[in-house]
Amino acid sequence: MNWPGFSAIANAWWLLLLIPLIIFYFLKLRRPRVEIASLALWQSVVNDQRVNSPFQKFRRNILLWLQMALLILLVLAAMQPFFVGGSARSRYLPVLIDCSASMAATDAETGKSRLDLAKQRVREVVENLLPDQRVSLIAMHSTAQRLTEFTDNKRILLDALDQLKIRDLPSRLEDALRMTQVLARTVPVESVLVYSDGNFPQRVSFDLPFEINYQQLPPAGPNAGITAFNARQTEPPKWDVFLRVESSAALAGTVSLWQDGQKLGNATFVLDAGQSQRITFDVESDVSSRLEAKLEVDDGGYDSLTADNVAFLDLPTARPLRAYVDPELTSYQHALQGAQNVEMFPSNGSAGNGDVRTAAYDLVISSKLDGRSIDAVTRLFIGVIPEDVAPLIVMPVLTGLTEFIDWDRSSALLQHMQLRDVQISEDVTKQPGVEDANFEAAGYSILAHGNNGPLLLERRTGATVEYFLLFQTENSTLPYRVAFPIFVSNAVQIARQEAGISEVRASKTSVLPPREVAADTEYRIVTPSGESEAVRSGKDGILNGVAAFESGRYRIMDGGSEVVSIAVSLLDPLETSLASVEQIQFDELSVKAADELLDTDRPLWSTLAAIAFAVLLVEWWFFQRPAVG
Amino acid sequence: MQRPFRRCRAFSMELTSSKPRLTGLLSNETLARVERMRLVPNRRRTNRAQGEHLSGKGGTSIEFSDYRDYVAGDDIRRVDWNIFARLQRPYLKLYSHEEEMHVTVLVDASSSMRSEEKFDRARQLAAAFSVMGLMGGERVSVFACNHSGAGPEMETRMAGRVSTRRVFRFLENLEPGGDVPVEHAIESMLRLHHGRGIAIVLSDFLTFGDVSRSFNLLYSAGLELFALQLLGPSEIDPEITGDVRFVDSETGDALDISSAGELLGLYHEHRLGLEQFLGEQSRKRNGRFVSLSSGKSVERILFETLLRQGWVQ
Repeated sequence: MNWPGFSAIANAWWLLLLIPLIIFYFLKLRRPRVEIASLALWQSVVNDQRVNSPFQKFRRNILLWLQMALLILLVLAAMQPFFVGGSARSRYLPVLIDCSASMAATDAETGKSRLDLAKQRVREVVENLLPDQRVSLIAMHSTAQRLTEFTDNKRILLDALDQLKIRDLPSRLEDALRMTQVLARTVPVESVLVYSDGNFPQRVSFDLPFEINYQQLPPAGPNAGITAFNARQTEPPKWDVFLRVESSAALAGTVSLWQDGQKLGNATFVLDAGQSQRITFDVESDVSSRLEAKLEVDDGGYDSLTADNVAFLDLPTARPLRAYVDPELTSYQHALQGAQNVEMFPSNGSAGNGDVRTAAYDLVISSKLDGRSIDAVTRLFIGVIPEDVAPLIVMPVLTGLTEFIDWDRSSALLQHMQLRDVQISEDVTKQPGVEDANFEAAGYSILAHGNNGPLLLERRTGATVEYFLLFQTENSTLPYRVAFPIFVSNAVQIARQEAGISEVRASKTSVLPPREVAADTEYRIVTPSGESEAVRSGKDGILNGVAAFESGRYRIMDGGSEVVSIAVSLLDPLETSLASVEQIQFDELSVKAADELLDTDRPLWSTLAAIAFAVLLVEWWFFQRPAVG
Repeated sequence: MQRPFRRCRAFSMELTSSKPRLTGLLSNETLARVERMRLVPNRRRTNRAQGEHLSGKGGTSIEFSDYRDYVAGDDIRRVDWNIFARLQRPYLKLYSHEEEMHVTVLVDASSSMRSEEKFDRARQLAAAFSVMGLMGGERVSVFACNHSGAGPEMETRMAGRVSTRRVFRFLENLEPGGDVPVEHAIESMLRLHHGRGIAIVLSDFLTFGDVSRSFNLLYSAGLELFALQLLGPSEIDPEITGDVRFVDSETGDALDISSAGELLGLYHEHRLGLEQFLGEQSRKRNGRFVSLSSGKSVERILFETLLRQGWVQ
């Protein structure tokens, strides 16, 4: 048998109040004075043996007993007793609540979402909170959000719990644990409660400094959803639109595609558990249009998650790529001339025309730094060293042979390229003491290393990406290698993707893709659920960093007019699969989901207070009851 | 519909009030009715003086009462010679003797009588009994005791209709207050009283003392006891709960009671026990006892309770 514990046992001193209570009772203080004709009769009553018998004495003092019981109950309640639960008791308890998209999955029978269940369980923890315990609620999705400080204020905790909403985002346990680790530096955190459906990567790269109590929520019903949505332009104005549908159970249904509110067609799918199906639609569009894919399961099936049943894709206006190449870069001009759907400027008739430099392009290949003045989303500088990189490199560039020592093969610009046999007659050399980190600190990524320094740098600024080839191509054997046309082709592909004219992918939730708007202007972002948020664009005219926690269309408003709208979709195969991890593998150990529900300490003070109130009522009734006889 | 009725009542009050009241204690109608009523003692204890009450002993009136054996010393003139001729034995012929009876009224005027109109009701009853006595040709004495140690206030040896005003004035001027127990009041009254007859004691009999001795003294003084206990409604049926501190109105003593509601049953037992005790003590001395509520009107007490119990006729 577990004896109850006491959180505030010092309050037992209040039991000493029993002494004055008894004294005052027998001193009969505050008795109402009643003048009567004579005490003769009452004196004889008091002298009666029956009145003075022990039982009668007890009956006469029953009010005293009730008052003593009331006092004892109140003092016991003040001592904050609690039944000791099975789990270890922590004074500071962070509670991580998964509110990722999969937590919205509902149960076919109860219709309750996983988040509802999690809230219900966390509510029990909060309501059974002991006076010396502090809880901090942390919402967990693609990142972590601290909902409350460590507090014992149940109202604050329950309010925060009520306001917790589903985010149409994948779940990442690491961020939440790292935030908890930061919290653990200020208060002693021994264990952490995690309420999740287990829909996160099994391996978590984190060294646990505390215990994890992983409360896995029961699985939801079956689910089918759209996990990929993109389009590729075949030949203008034709687009191939691809969708991927996945299912967590055997389900059949239909995917319909809508263009600007008009239905283009249906496609059926029949899937077993864990299977996926690729669905293709042919769409013609020479102007920008909005595509929306909707998934519906057949009658009789149950789809537990709605967030992945719809996906959005904005098709751009079909047009060829506009590329500006400096006239002196003849090798690049030759390389681009054979490329399909590429309009190269300056053309033969407009060479040197100033209007050409002021027009907007998708790709700029320039041998001068003033190429930055040309409006483009992708710029490739040949033999140009940016001003902020110049102090890091020995200037002027030395003459000497060098070659590509290493390069980032996964980079979009250098993919499928073999640079080993390229000889360069310029030796780009780092200043003594300069490390790669200095380039990164300046905002540049090194894509290729030479013998003594970097050869190719990448810099992304807002919606613009710039590549700096630090040597002149003509001073190398690159134009004569097979890698050169691949290099130019990669640049074109990057430009196409950056401009979004050849292949578009549906944007995912989390953060809205950057958009070029007026510089330093305040815009109002209207979310799909109708909430609005004020965001200010940067001085570079880029609006970025706008949170997009729910799938749907976000409208960027300038005053009352819509500037642009951006749609984002969940499109996460893991969330759609509703897969559940029963064991989390950390760097050094693994944590299994708890077998039983969390048995928290149950405070008893409210029960004792209720009993005390009942005793008070009995005492009141006993004192006021009509006289018998 | 109630309006005419009220008007009738108001009218009757005007009629009654049109005639000046003889006393504030009793209404004229009650007084008129009381004047025709007489006290009915159990035994005829009379003074030697001539009165309207028929003596139990033989007398000189013309009304035959009884026969008895002749004993030496009897007046032979009262021997019935006709009986002697037939039976050859002397018998004395006895005649009823109408003698005067002394009606003594003792009003308990201690502080305990002050509450709940007990004292008013006692004065009203004392007035009524006095009027009955005076109209019946008896001698009437009225005593009122209040303070211990001090002698009783009294108006004694009144007779005839002319004395009614004295009785009323005496009773009207009485003020309650004091701590004299009823048994002491009786004893102090007996020290000043002469004559046989009826002793009407109007009190609440709430005393710590023993009334037996004072009842004996009354009996031996040739007074037949008419004991009327007057209790207030709250004394008969108290509505008290919880813990209270009772304060004696006479002595100022306090008594703390816990859970008074619990003790009400015992209180009733003790009150009824006191009534029973007083009744037994009265009956042992050929007296009468009745316990009355001061909440009852004097008319109901006189014309219903006492008339029905044969105290008056």
